[in-house]
Amino acid sequence: MNVTIPTNEMQKKPGSERKRKILIVEDEFVNREILIAILDAEYEIIAVGSGAEAEASLLSLSRKISLVLLDLNLPDRHGLDILREMKENPLTAKIPVIVLTSDKEAEVESLNIGAIDFIPKPYPIPKVVQARVKRTIELSEDRDLIRETEYDHLTGLYTREYFYRYAEQYDVFHPDVPTDALVLDVNRFKMINERFGKQYADQVLIRIGQAIVASVGEAGGIACRRSADTFLVYCPHLTDYHAFLDAIIAAACGDDKGRIRIRLGVSAKTEKTVEMQTRFDRAKIAADTVRGSFTDCIAFYDNAMHEKEIYDERLLDEFPRAIAEKQFAVYFQPKFDVRPDTPVLCGSEALVRWIHPELGMISPGVFIPLFENNGLIRMLDRYVWRETVSQIAAWKKQFGRTVPVSVNVSRIDMLDPDLVETLRDLVINGGLDFSDLHLEITESAYTENARQIIDTVNQLQKIGFVIEMDDFGSGYSSLNMIATLPIDVLKLDMVFIRSVFRENGNLRMLKVIVEIAETLSVPMIAEGVETAEQLNTLREMGCDMVQGYYFSAPKPAADFEKFIREWLQIKEPMSI
Amino acid sequence: MLTLEKLRAFGANVDEGMQRCINNESFYLMLTEKAIRDPGFEKLLEAAENGDLDRGFELSHALKGVTANLALTPLFAPIAELTELFRNKADADYVSLVKAILAKRDELTASEG
Repeated sequence: MNVTIPTNEMQKKPGSERKRKILIVEDEFVNREILIAILDAEYEIIAVGSGAEAEASLLSLSRKISLVLLDLNLPDRHGLDILREMKENPLTAKIPVIVLTSDKEAEVESLNIGAIDFIPKPYPIPKVVQARVKRTIELSEDRDLIRETEYDHLTGLYTREYFYRYAEQYDVFHPDVPTDALVLDVNRFKMINERFGKQYADQVLIRIGQAIVASVGEAGGIACRRSADTFLVYCPHLTDYHAFLDAIIAAACGDDKGRIRIRLGVSAKTEKTVEMQTRFDRAKIAADTVRGSFTDCIAFYDNAMHEKEIYDERLLDEFPRAIAEKQFAVYFQPKFDVRPDTPVLCGSEALVRWIHPELGMISPGVFIPLFENNGLIRMLDRYVWRETVSQIAAWKKQFGRTVPVSVNVSRIDMLDPDLVETLRDLVINGGLDFSDLHLEITESAYTENARQIIDTVNQLQKIGFVIEMDDFGSGYSSLNMIATLPIDVLKLDMVFIRSVFRENGNLRMLKVIVEIAETLSVPMIAEGVETAEQLNTLREMGCDMVQGYYFSAPKPAADFEKFIREWLQIKEPMSI
Repeated sequence: MLTLEKLRAFGANVDEGMQRCINNESFYLMLTEKAIRDPGFEKLLEAAENGDLDRGFELSHALKGVTANLALTPLFAPIAELTELFRNKADADYVSLVKAILAKRDELTASEG
């Protein structure tokens, strides 16, 4: 029996609200008719009297049904079986069900299976039935809306916002359970995307999500996909994560063993007073310490990392004051032309040092990567440029002439549309010639956003700046590309120099690079030269200039002046 | 023909039943007429006579719901008791109990005229 009391949709005014559909599954005519009478003013009712009819209606109308009122004693099926099947079928699982029963035990069982509420028999007064139905539909629709934003569409894991909320909720209800915050990152995921396509990459992410849930779900752990290839997991503490990570990697790889590597950072048993997001930031810091490692894929956030984090935070906090108080000092490391028998000063590189009133001299190796990560490097670079221009101007005034000084131009500076103007104004306002200030641009900057950067460098070169390609040998420039780049000087990477001399066999590589410079007809500076042996080898190979501790450490301006004075005594000083 | 007065005289809680039927008198009376002619009553006797307690439970349970909703208290009360006996598979004289219920029901069918 299928009693449908339709609303004539065609006669409804455009824009008027459609009635929500309710499926009443009740075989007793009297009971069914009473419910219809109570509800049909507000809802479109589909009424059926058997399990088979209910099943058919659910399958054909699943997406359109707002609520099911389900009697448990049907002639062909038990209502609980229908309820169970509904909850197991993804098409019908989300439809709210109110059970109609006079049986107290059945009420509990139906709620356990997934009924959202029950209406007892005899029915309460109509207003109560109407209110319960209305509220159930509202709650269910709200829940559906929440679901849309609650879960990541691809993996079915929580979205970040909900994840943090549920993780906090976990702590509220399990204050004494020690927990770990995990961050899983797929190494070089972009490459997986590019090499195997988005569809394959998506499958990898889905498998990772499933494996995480399978691994920690039972223990009460929860997970989310924070961004493309980063997963967060919050779970009761584990001492060993090797089996966990192995399972995730095996799932990620599927049949293609060994292709995908995942790094795992763990912030273990962190105090519950630490903010949830901070715990995951820490796990991320730990994960990034094993970013490039093939052997260690798991890292625990530890005291050293914590201290570094606090230290970094302090440096970031104190940066503005350090700039205002000129705590950053510009040091100058001489560059020598090594072609003559007696090396001759030919320039210097401006290098920044932070002389902190409490922490003392802070290595640029500590603060430069930190400032590069958050953009403060732009301010620092500008500070160094200004200070350098002032110093060159002062030397020129003092000695009548001086050697050029090179300054570093960071990758992020290269994206600044005002860069050319800023540098030009600095030189002009400082009363310098453009050739007084050399610009060091790291090789890798050229490869990142090549077209725009080449255009900018071309403009800088055109107005008279000397362009030194810094860290040559550390990037991945193709020879073809180098030949087309606007470069006046090649600076050989210090790390490269060190490794060449450490591993004797690599001198051939050095020779090749010197020959590249010769082919391009640009002079080459080798930096990081520390020994006479290194100097002699570089000289023999045809390297033009050398910078490094062999000649001098970077010096404060006052100490560097002795190099200028010596240079001025030579009749025909060399210059680049 | 059933009337509210007859139902009141029978012992039904008419106000409660009417309220459930959104105070629509003809609707309430129509459903009550339908209920007292429910073939389930006769089938219930058949089940009792056959000693089929499961079937007896199904039928009495269904009638219990209907008579409860219509507030036909003089029928609902013995049917509810009978349902529990069937549910518990109690040792009882089911045939007599059902016959008593049918007799009570017949008071109403007789009054229908």
